[in-house]
Amino acid sequence: MSDSTAVNAKGIWKIFNEGQANEVTALQEVDLTVDQGEFISLIGPSGCGKSTLLRVIADLTDATKGELTVAGLSVHEARKQQRYGIAFQQAALFDWRTVRRNIELPLELAGWDKAKRKERALELLEMVQLSDFAEHRPWELSGGMQQRVAIARSLAVDPPLLLMDEPFGALDEMTRERMQNELLRIRLETGKSIIFVTHSIPEAVYLSDRVVVMSPRPGRITDVINVNLGDRNEDTRESEAFFESVTAVREALRGRTGNSGSSIRARVGEV
Amino acid sequence: MRGKLRAIWPPILIAAIFLIAWQLLVVIQDLKPYLLPAPSLIFSTFTSSIDLMFSAAFYTGSTAFMGLVFGTFIGLVLALLAQRFGVVNNLITPLAAGLAAVPIIALTPILNNMFDITSRTPRVLITTIIVFFPVFVNVTKGLIQVRPVQLELMKSMNATPRTTLRVLRVPNAIPFFFTALKIAAPLSVIAALVAEYFGGPQTGLGSRIASAAANTAYGRAWAYVVASIITGLVFYLIVVMVEKWTTPWTGRSTTA
Repeated sequence: MSDSTAVNAKGIWKIFNEGQANEVTALQEVDLTVDQGEFISLIGPSGCGKSTLLRVIADLTDATKGELTVAGLSVHEARKQQRYGIAFQQAALFDWRTVRRNIELPLELAGWDKAKRKERALELLEMVQLSDFAEHRPWELSGGMQQRVAIARSLAVDPPLLLMDEPFGALDEMTRERMQNELLRIRLETGKSIIFVTHSIPEAVYLSDRVVVMSPRPGRITDVINVNLGDRNEDTRESEAFFESVTAVREALRGRTGNSGSSIRARVGEV
Repeated sequence: MRGKLRAIWPPILIAAIFLIAWQLLVVIQDLKPYLLPAPSLIFSTFTSSIDLMFSAAFYTGSTAFMGLVFGTFIGLVLALLAQRFGVVNNLITPLAAGLAAVPIIALTPILNNMFDITSRTPRVLITTIIVFFPVFVNVTKGLIQVRPVQLELMKSMNATPRTTLRVLRVPNAIPFFFTALKIAAPLSVIAALVAEYFGGPQTGLGSRIASAAANTAYGRAWAYVVASIITGLVFYLIVVMVEKWTTPWTGRSTTA
């Protein structure tokens, strides 16, 4: 196992209610490799299995079949050692804890002592630019701020991998774009590998090194689009190259020939 | 401050109108006290025997408080068991519902015979049984109804069921617990008071109301009723205050 591989998935199947009348194949023969420091988006219509794939990688649900490692460890071991942080569409903050103590939660479970926890939480609050809100309660924060707290929490133990399940899905468009820039900045600062589930084509293109296109019934990877936009800034969203990539992803989603050069696509095509 | 005043004056105004109308009705219609005593009579009886009122309220309040403590304790323990072991939940919940459906107060004479009628025991027991049910049902709900995404978060951090209980389920159940107490606290006063109607020491509010009515001292009976209402309200307000102190997040909810 190479050290530069953040996630390595081979032939992953996930079948719900196997052998029953309501059997659903959520994932079929999914191969995915994420390099250390890479930003991957999973995109596709509802029911394409993108969230299921994320949950399998997070060891929140078991794969029915297939091989999967995270940071060279089995998914179970990776979860046990908190080798990934996760953020969901809902910030899932605990109302009875202050913002700072929400961020400390993973550290508490990892057995850090109080002073170190606080120091680390304040450091992360600075990173997500919420230092002034350390002792506030979650409900006093806007949706975007809550999501920043959730991201800070997912970074708390400094895991090499971030899993994000539509974290900006509930935010308005302007907040969303700001959050995307924040996430890219945090990524630059921390060098994390990120797997990002989204419904939004521009979001996937703007954030990712590669966009993994999935399709439903059965959930599978149908295309992988490489995005080469270099360093992102506000002009990127209006650049020619950006629109080309958006078009490539859109066509891939429609099932037309998009970008070539995807070994995964070729393999799925043979099935 | 102005907002608070604005919230307070309408109920006070309505209460005042109600009392004035009551007083006028009694005076104009010349109603006899056994039908309906005037508020002025009730008030003067209340203030002239304030010591008796207080001691009776204190006695019944103590009974209620003991039952409240025991019932809450049993309710909490059973709720924890019900959350931990689904079997226990399936076993207790129908039993608890059955127990709640029994007219517990009707058991008082029987319990009075089973235990020493001159002691407080049967009354505390009745109060305990009445208090336990809302506490058990609400707290169990609070322990179990945790948002799925928060459970997934706990799992992602490799939390044990025990840690999840401590960090997530128990804090989640606290607002449910206070909802239960707001029902149970005034209810405990009612239970303790009604249990006194069936004999035993004559020191409590229930006994005093019964004996005052039996002696045609209607003003006094009503004064004790007022003392009972105040006792119940005090119990309720104490719960509300403790809730405000300890759980500033209650009633708030983070949506995103």
